[in-house]
Amino acid sequence: MKRRSILAAGLASAATVGLSHRGWSQSKPFDGMVLRLASCNDQFSPGLKALSARFKQETGITVIVDILGYGELQTKLTTDYVGHTKGYDLATTDNVWAPQFAEAGYTVPLNDWMKRDAAEMALDDIYPVLFTALGNYQGKQVAFPLAGYANVLAYRKDLYAAAKLQPPQTMQDLVDNAYKLTDRSRNQFGWVANGQKGAACAQDWMQYLAEIGGVLVKNGQPVIDSPLNVQSLTTYRDLFQKAAPPGAVNWDWDGREASFRSGLAANMQTWSVGALGYFDPAQSKVTNSAALMVTPTAAAMKPRYGIGGWGIAINADIDDRHKQAAWTYIKWITSPAIHIALNELDACSFLRRSELRDASLNRKYPFLPVIDESFTHGDPDFRPRVPQYPEIQDILGTAVNSALVGAMTPAAALAAAQTQALRYF
Amino acid sequence: MAAPAVIHVAVFALYPILRGIGFSVFRMNLMQPWLHRFIGLRNYTDALSDPAIRHSLAVTLIFTAACVTAELALGLCLALLLWADNRFNRVAAILMLVPITVTPIVVGLIFRALLDPSFGQIGYWLCALHLAPPQGLLGDTHTALATMIAVDVWEWTPLSALILLAGLKSLPSDILDAAAIDGAGACARLLRIILPMMLPSLFLVLVLRVTDVFRTYDIVFAATGGGPGDSTNLLMLTAVKQGLQFFDIGYGSAISILMTLAIAIMAALIILVLRGLDRRYSAS
Repeated sequence: MKRRSILAAGLASAATVGLSHRGWSQSKPFDGMVLRLASCNDQFSPGLKALSARFKQETGITVIVDILGYGELQTKLTTDYVGHTKGYDLATTDNVWAPQFAEAGYTVPLNDWMKRDAAEMALDDIYPVLFTALGNYQGKQVAFPLAGYANVLAYRKDLYAAAKLQPPQTMQDLVDNAYKLTDRSRNQFGWVANGQKGAACAQDWMQYLAEIGGVLVKNGQPVIDSPLNVQSLTTYRDLFQKAAPPGAVNWDWDGREASFRSGLAANMQTWSVGALGYFDPAQSKVTNSAALMVTPTAAAMKPRYGIGGWGIAINADIDDRHKQAAWTYIKWITSPAIHIALNELDACSFLRRSELRDASLNRKYPFLPVIDESFTHGDPDFRPRVPQYPEIQDILGTAVNSALVGAMTPAAALAAAQTQALRYF
Repeated sequence: MAAPAVIHVAVFALYPILRGIGFSVFRMNLMQPWLHRFIGLRNYTDALSDPAIRHSLAVTLIFTAACVTAELALGLCLALLLWADNRFNRVAAILMLVPITVTPIVVGLIFRALLDPSFGQIGYWLCALHLAPPQGLLGDTHTALATMIAVDVWEWTPLSALILLAGLKSLPSDILDAAAIDGAGACARLLRIILPMMLPSLFLVLVLRVTDVFRTYDIVFAATGGGPGDSTNLLMLTAVKQGLQFFDIGYGSAISILMTLAIAIMAALIILVLRGLDRRYSAS
């Protein structure tokens, strides 16, 4: 009798376990599936990796996060897409790649899914500029916003106070302050930016150019050597020669950031993603004196804050079931609660209004109001979102650097760049 | 017996070159697959008529000539200094391997950091003592190429020295002893006996270094990215940029094939010159 009872209890337990397992499986339609995500090694990538365990727990989907450098990511993705090798199901995607990917049809257009799941995803909570900036090309959403960055001005409160200066309200203020805050005898410089040939100097200059109203492509044609652009590059070169630390002409993002964190430079425009480091004593000597504000623009000009960051895209080659699972992941990782969790893991990458109002995040990131203002009045087009962008950036990378080091005048450098750029249009 | 070698060459050398030639006669940009089409020699004519490519070729030739000359001369000096077989020279020969073992991209990054005028341990003092321009050696168009040549020479001279040292050690001592007994001075022995007998080693160093230096990429990419301006923009940087940044496989392949041809021509010239020298020395 006893043995029979034990057997019955065992069978009941097994049935219960079986039923509950079947029930769990039904709520996990993609249980056991594996997705491969190629992620750029930006600040959000460790968070993506850390959260994948939680995603597996909730959905049964394993997400393998492959963290790659920028160039390696671009090369691997492109060869994967071109060769239709389906190496990655998901990939973080730079906004400047979106036009090429959209034209070639390498990533899945997400518009229909976004329309269907708009309420569930609380899309209204996401800053509209991020949809445009992080993966939209001619109305086609080829990547979903994952990590929004604002171009902000980092400055030194102590140096401004000592010099009795106010933080700059206009671009002219910034230029004037940069000169006033430069004191070579004290190894103190008023300003710093990327000067290294290539993407580094091209991207930084494009931000300054946009802030005085300059454009590089107009009506589908390059206008690189316009008088306003030449004026902008001339001012930029003068700043490099008179207000930037020695060696800045050969610095990329790392050198520029190091110069601000080490206290060498008083002003620096930068992406907000690195801002957490200014307040971390392990990385910075200016923890008590660093501050962030929105970037200044030309006097009387409408604010035009540069917006950048990363979208997340689905490989068009994978089968429908994997596409749906990938979309499930996108919905999950960009959901309000999970995106806050991502930022609690130091991602410093924002999407949602609710996120920027979150009390705990505001304690962690004291500069969120600046990002909110930048996202609200952001400009997704300070870098031209055209398929020829890689070539334009490369051409500008040489032209701007040539002007900065005095190898060419700004006018000659931009005229040469215009001639080269015309070949691609 | 030669089958493995033939298969290796066919698979790892011939096939990629043939594929490269195949790509180079197509308009083939991976980002615009719908525009792929046969265009004959258009990529080659475009490359040869592009002022930026011609400038890169000139920079590459200067870089190659300067590096190989310096590495050969300094390598020979080092090899002669280390010729005597004693404990100090054996330790020195081992230590010389250190620069060669460092990955070139790391060498580029190290020198970029060392020569930085704000943060670099060498660059700061060079600028403070007015021995370098204010932007640093790598930030000035007049000094960047020479600096990159010096960095390449620092890394690869030991390789030349070790090859030449091996050549020196294999020289028959009886001939050198006979020359010394006959009263030949150090210079005469070097010019009339040692160098002629070392032609195979010299040939090896020249061909190895010319082919390698002409294809330099990582060390310059890491240190200057081809800048400032275009002052260190080597051909390989342009080829890689076209292929892996713009994904213009057709144009990038054409540049690579032109580089292969240039290397083949230089190697042939070296062979001809050394063969001529060999005949001259054999006759005398």
